[in-house]
Amino acid sequence: MTISTNPTSSRGDRPPSALSLWWKQTRKTLLPPLFGIGGFLLFWQLSATLGLTKLAGPLSLFTEERTRELLFYPFFDRGGLDKGLFLHAMSSLSRVALGYTLAAVVGIAAGIAVGLNKGLDRALDPLFQFLRMVAPLAWVPIALVLFQNNQPAAIFVIFVTSIWPILINTAEGVRQIPQDYRNVALVLQMSNRNFFTKVLIPSALPYIFTGLRISIGLAWLAIIAAEIVMPGTPGIGFFIWDAYQNSYVSDIILGVIWIGAIGLILDRLMVWLQNRIAAGQ
Amino acid sequence: MTTLVQVQEIDKSFPLSGGNTYLALKGIDLDIRKGEFISLIGHSGCGKSTLLNMIAGLDLPTVGTVLVDGEAVRRPGPDKMVVFQNYSLLPWLSVRDNIALAVDEVMPSLAKAERDAVVDEHIAMVGLGAAGHKRPSELSGGMRQRVSIARALAIKPKLLLLDEPFGALDALTRGNLQEKLMQICNEHDLTAVMVTHDVDEAVLLSDRIVMLTNGPGSVIGGILEVDIPRPRQRLSVVHHPSYYSLRSEIIYFLNRQKRVKQWQAKPHKVLARHGLEKVNLDLGFVPLAACAPLAVAEAKGFFSKHGLDAVQLVRETSWRGVTDGLVDGTLDAALMPSGMPSWMAAGGHGGTPLPVVSSLTLSRNGNGITLAKRLADEGVHNVDDYRRYLLSHQREPHRLGIVHPASMHNLLLRYWLASHAIDPDHDVHLQTIPPAQMLADLKDGSIDGFCIGAPWLDRALADGHGFTVAGDLAIWPGHPGKVLGVREDWALAYPNTHIALTKALLEACQYCAEPSHWGEMSELLSDRRYLGMKKEVIWFSETGADGSSTVPHHLFFGKGVNRPSRSEHLWILTQLARWGEIPFPRNYVEILERICAVGVFSTAARELGLDAVSYKRGPIELFDGRPFNVDNPIDYLNAVPVHRDFSIAEIPIGTPRALGS
Repeated sequence: MTISTNPTSSRGDRPPSALSLWWKQTRKTLLPPLFGIGGFLLFWQLSATLGLTKLAGPLSLFTEERTRELLFYPFFDRGGLDKGLFLHAMSSLSRVALGYTLAAVVGIAAGIAVGLNKGLDRALDPLFQFLRMVAPLAWVPIALVLFQNNQPAAIFVIFVTSIWPILINTAEGVRQIPQDYRNVALVLQMSNRNFFTKVLIPSALPYIFTGLRISIGLAWLAIIAAEIVMPGTPGIGFFIWDAYQNSYVSDIILGVIWIGAIGLILDRLMVWLQNRIAAGQ
Repeated sequence: MTTLVQVQEIDKSFPLSGGNTYLALKGIDLDIRKGEFISLIGHSGCGKSTLLNMIAGLDLPTVGTVLVDGEAVRRPGPDKMVVFQNYSLLPWLSVRDNIALAVDEVMPSLAKAERDAVVDEHIAMVGLGAAGHKRPSELSGGMRQRVSIARALAIKPKLLLLDEPFGALDALTRGNLQEKLMQICNEHDLTAVMVTHDVDEAVLLSDRIVMLTNGPGSVIGGILEVDIPRPRQRLSVVHHPSYYSLRSEIIYFLNRQKRVKQWQAKPHKVLARHGLEKVNLDLGFVPLAACAPLAVAEAKGFFSKHGLDAVQLVRETSWRGVTDGLVDGTLDAALMPSGMPSWMAAGGHGGTPLPVVSSLTLSRNGNGITLAKRLADEGVHNVDDYRRYLLSHQREPHRLGIVHPASMHNLLLRYWLASHAIDPDHDVHLQTIPPAQMLADLKDGSIDGFCIGAPWLDRALADGHGFTVAGDLAIWPGHPGKVLGVREDWALAYPNTHIALTKALLEACQYCAEPSHWGEMSELLSDRRYLGMKKEVIWFSETGADGSSTVPHHLFFGKGVNRPSRSEHLWILTQLARWGEIPFPRNYVEILERICAVGVFSTAARELGLDAVSYKRGPIELFDGRPFNVDNPIDYLNAVPVHRDFSIAEIPIGTPRALGS
């Protein structure tokens, strides 16, 4: 005779299925944001339907024929500026990639120089602190005067908006290298090159990544400002500006959703990269 | 052995904001032999880490040079590898890579396989074989420090420098790592310098311990040789006879430094009042029944009565504190063993001879020779039994405790042993131990017995750990016990204060000699300011604490009791020379003349109307009946049965000079 240690088990109380287990675990993290977003959309739609605002509601993405097409077919290309939103976004991204890469290279190099050299730091720090306060839109006319050409001007605006956090954080990271690490390098009589690659860079890496992460957000924010001044080239900023000129409100909303989503993905990407490269610090 | 490191006359100063400089170290001179383990110990801010950094080359001396292997240190290098306090591992590298980084930098010509072998060997050496792939953040503090040590050893430095390596670790880990480090140092014959706060760590690991005084201008206050043989075990070194004396030596030093710092922090102006040159006096004493006159003078207002209204009693834990206090001027006057004035005048304390003047003998008697109860259990009841016991137990160390080489305890014990054909230096070993430590040592059997004053002696009897084998009344009844001592230059600068102090204490002595006051005095001395023990163990009569006896054990006052006696001090000089503590001074007449302030005593006694007490006593004769001829002390010295090879020398004590002149 076997003695059942669990009186309910004989009744066929099956263990909870994988799905219900998953639901149990994610319920707390998934439900509140769903409610939040759903509530917001509902409020927005209601205020549009009731005529409280002139802004179209979220449902207009589906009700407007033109917008629905843009929503469901992001990859079409009919030549010229008549493209799907994915292609617009890719154009913007390539522009951001160029400006941002430039900012990263110049920012990290200048940051290290400033971090290592106290005199340089004292000379340039006020200038940096001043320049980083200038808004992206304010750079646009200056960039146009400076380059006389749309494409480099747009890239310059992205560059000049996103460089400061990289530069300032890198400089701080280099300044913050603990004296202990420097002492180790001194005692081992490390060459400058080895100190740079084996101590300085790894030690400052977390700071550099913080700068890079803040900057990717800024660079993406600057895209609208950069593309407003560039009629005739594809890009998500231009797309919004163009939709506004034509009073396609639902198109604007769709463009904004693309911008938000891409910004979020870029940020997550940087976090992932940071965890990959600078882990364990 | 060859010298590896020479620190030569180093000064180090740091610039302060406001243009001034702070002098951290001054005139540091230190030679370190190959294979030696040196500890630097001192209070925070004494510059011990600065000294280590200068040996490492991380910092340069302002004046002077550091030589390693005969070459001046100008910059840091892998031959002087440092183990930092906070490990300084690179957190993005694994244990292996941290060590490999150092090996790669220092030995770039090594092939990869050889390099890996070196790294593996050192990871295994510190017992971290399984953790080689881990990052420092995954390791405990103790493991990190082991990696740091492995990294340092992997590059085969000539010199290993450790900056408080175990300071941040828990006790258990610290103990394990200390043993590991010791083992590695022994196996590889490493030369090491370690900065530490931990007294036990210093004693355990070091061959020599360098003690630094407080800054500004820290100097080497003393260097202790640790004579405990290697290999040492953490748990067994504590049983080595030297362990506790080294330990207490360091602790005494550190406490003394703290004391001096506190003393310097207070303003010290000479307050002159009531026609006296100085009324604010710091009076040193050691907690003993014989300090009764000082306690009574304070409690009964005798000091104030004679105009000294700002007297402070300073409790020292050992007589050494009294000596040092007089030498560095932190004490104005002190209760001291009767041998101390002549001992210091003859330079027995190791410095320049310092004439110390005594105007008053404060107490007589009050000592006894105590042996451990376990000896009584083996049939030792008198000195002849003890001699037989020593002969039959020759292989054991026989240690007897004394409190100070210049105290009557030491001199009476030696005299008594020698008279009974026991050589106090060859048949037994006399060791200076603080009184409070002696009871514990007697209890755990590390000493055979001791000669000490009340109430420690009575406590050993009361606790049942010892028995009296000879009382002082059976050796020299009425021998001088404690005296009042001041520096000669102090006495010359403040003559009226000296007289007032003598008057106050002489009056206190008179009070203490009255049997009806003894109960009150026991009560008073039991206070924490003085002895801090139960009043039942503090008694002044011969028969104990029953209160009925009026036969005194301590003599505080009476005919010939208090007047400083030149012949007694001469007897002490001969005994100190007999046992090699000092050379016998050829100018002994001059020394006696200067240390016995008979004039001050006479003035004080006359002004108090106590002329009768200054009556001269008869000749000195101890229990063995050997006469002491005051006119020919050297013949006496040659005639005593046991003595060391004493020398006779002129002691340069200069001409009398007042303080500040």
